[in-house]
Amino acid sequence: MQPSAKLAEMHSISIVSEVGGPMHSRDANSEHALGFLTVMEHAQHGLFGGYLLLNVAGRPLEFHCTTPIKANRAQEILYGPTLQSFLYGEQIGQTLLDKAKTAPCFVCTDQQPALAVRQYVSAPVALVLGEEEPPDDEAGQVWRVDAAHRGLAGPSGPGLLAFQLGRNRLAVPCDAEDDRQLVAERIARLPESFAESFDLCEPFLRIREAIEEAQKAVR
Amino acid sequence: MSSRIHPDDRSGGFSWHPPPRPFVASVDLRIQPADTSTSAGAVDWNRQLAHWPGVEVRTSCPKPNRPRAISVPIGRPGVSVRSFVFAQPADTERAEAAENLPHLANQGAVGGKPVAAQLSGSTRIKPPGDVIKLEDRLHYILQPSLESLLAEGSLSFPFHPFPFQFEGVAFLYPRHAAVLADEMGLGKTMQAVTTIRLLLRRGELRSALLVCPKPLVTNWQREFGLWAPEVPVMVIEGDQSRRCWQWQLPEVAVRIANYELLCRDRQLLESFDTSGRPLVQFDLVALDESQRIKNRSSTTSQVVRSISRRRSWALTGTPVENSVEDLVGIFEFLAPGFLSPEMKPRRMGRTISDYVLRRTKDQVLRELPPKLFRDAEMDLSPEQRESYRLAEGEGVLRLTEMGASATIQHVFELVLRLKQICNFDPATGESAKLERLRADLEEIARSGRKAIVFSQWVCTLKRLAGALRSFGTLEYHGKVPSGRRDAVVRRFREDDGKHVMLMSYGAGGVGLNLQFANYVFLFDRWWNPAVEDQAINRAHRIGVDGPVTVTRFLMLDTIEERIDRILQEKRELFDTIFSGAESHRKLGLTQQELFGLFKLECPGGPIDLAA
Repeated sequence: MQPSAKLAEMHSISIVSEVGGPMHSRDANSEHALGFLTVMEHAQHGLFGGYLLLNVAGRPLEFHCTTPIKANRAQEILYGPTLQSFLYGEQIGQTLLDKAKTAPCFVCTDQQPALAVRQYVSAPVALVLGEEEPPDDEAGQVWRVDAAHRGLAGPSGPGLLAFQLGRNRLAVPCDAEDDRQLVAERIARLPESFAESFDLCEPFLRIREAIEEAQKAVR
Repeated sequence: MSSRIHPDDRSGGFSWHPPPRPFVASVDLRIQPADTSTSAGAVDWNRQLAHWPGVEVRTSCPKPNRPRAISVPIGRPGVSVRSFVFAQPADTERAEAAENLPHLANQGAVGGKPVAAQLSGSTRIKPPGDVIKLEDRLHYILQPSLESLLAEGSLSFPFHPFPFQFEGVAFLYPRHAAVLADEMGLGKTMQAVTTIRLLLRRGELRSALLVCPKPLVTNWQREFGLWAPEVPVMVIEGDQSRRCWQWQLPEVAVRIANYELLCRDRQLLESFDTSGRPLVQFDLVALDESQRIKNRSSTTSQVVRSISRRRSWALTGTPVENSVEDLVGIFEFLAPGFLSPEMKPRRMGRTISDYVLRRTKDQVLRELPPKLFRDAEMDLSPEQRESYRLAEGEGVLRLTEMGASATIQHVFELVLRLKQICNFDPATGESAKLERLRADLEEIARSGRKAIVFSQWVCTLKRLAGALRSFGTLEYHGKVPSGRRDAVVRRFREDDGKHVMLMSYGAGGVGLNLQFANYVFLFDRWWNPAVEDQAINRAHRIGVDGPVTVTRFLMLDTIEERIDRILQEKRELFDTIFSGAESHRKLGLTQQELFGLFKLECPGGPIDLAA
């Protein structure tokens, strides 16, 4: 009913590019931008990647999403257990992060294989862990594990170092232990209440919705 | 022999490199004496080799089986990416303008904690159906929750809004055409005010016009003061020159005007400047009680539609009062031509679903005390019955004699006459309803409760005022000057000795908050159920501290009983449009039906009964 152009003008939307080469011009003043990278698996189409850059108020700065990709049989055989890291981190993650105009102060992902994108970016990459269920033993006794020991084993997965920042539980690969400190330092540079109040899990819901919307638009 | 596997950067995979080619060679087996110690043996060895037949050693490799190279393409196809970049509102000119509005910047936390400290939840703003382009839709989908947006603006609220009220704000926020049709008492005003506040704060709105019935102007002023204290509000009022100045004054975020005043200022509102731009224009025009423009040919509707605007919202608890034409009238303001009166109710319901948000108290306020209906069916007193019988007989006879010249107006006159007799006998003043009402009020007053009594006639209310004086009556109707009405409401709320408010449907039907009354009496019935519902919901709304009992007086075997059946059909029409349920009921009151009240016949065709 209302012309879309009018609406776009109203909300100051601009499309930088739809399909094209990498955008190299990074915004120098982007130390307050947060990157959120996720990959969605669709039974029929394969993997969709989405990368959302937010400012510290949680408002979108950029959004990039991939067309679906699928590993072929040769990749499945030859990459073996490294296939997911290759697809999530290199194929999707690297491609998406290269497209972004704004460099993030750190990148969050909710998919462990996507941590492999770390070798292609200078910013630290952390895995956002959901709410942790307290482990129950057979007798039904609930054991609470303090935050400092959560990463040593169990729910955060092998090879991960988990830690708590404000209301969020994060993890970095054990072989990238320095990232833990780096993430903490960069969050500390953000506005004071950020770490306490910002839910780092929430933006992934937005990315999924946006990918689904983009899929609908293609159909 | 060996082969090696090399990473192949170009293909992203690996390739296999074969070994060097095989060869054939002759070998000389003779020993060259190197020193004296071995010379004797070497000579002997060499002599033997030279002896016939001699030995020639040849080494040859068999023809090699060349390995077959199988290339397995792994490939790294390029991944296509769609990219979207969103400008931040803080970067826009509009936001800067909003920040420059007097009193608007950084004063959101007046009178309370920042909303971030108060609010939780994640109400999402979804793109309206008429937003087609993907980038436009993503703009909404990728926004944080409404609660986060409010927190970002450090906006505070005097009370914690209900979740459904946030949903209402999230519904209005992105829409350029919207009907907020919540049942009365669910806070349409608060939802509209909060959305306007947020749009102003986000720089997506600079000027809004709120149009409402005259008695509600002060109510809107009060609500803005409560829910958006930092937003500058101006009431359009005064003489013509003052109003002309007010209409054109820049830097006013919100203007409030009543419908009648719009009609008086029509010329100005429809004028253009020398460059062809409207003299008066708004980013948003919101109509409260928008059923006022249900008649498309009315002056009010025409003037409202002529105002230059970017967004159009309609607020009403009763989008359909009589027929689907009502909704068509409202949509002529929102989106001209979107609906047509020929549409079937069910199809109309589907068509408007993305534009209309309608919630009932039953759906969203489960904790709200119930609304209890009781139909007080009574017989007329003997004196009333006699007067009724005579009036009906004479009236029907007259209409019959008039034949084809009888008009709908003649029928109306008879209906009104009979309804008045149902209230009071004109000869003796007898009233079965009054007796029943008095008995009920005694109990109510004894328990310290309060009641509202509705009638369509001021004369009836006056008679009731005299008869019920002992219960502490107050009057609120068209004969009470508008300047005194707020004081009447205040006294009813605060004075423990005032138990009864006598109200007309017209004056007390909309915008009033009387949730301290637990009893509502419909002394006589209005023409459509929507107006009755509005009246009832003055009391049954957020804040009510117990069940609300609604008593509908109905005189048996009279015109009231027959009208009640038609009201029931209208309720079903409403449900059909707003619930999508199938219904084969007739859509409205036709002339035939009205004449049928008296078993008379007349030419057919739909009519629009006054609300």
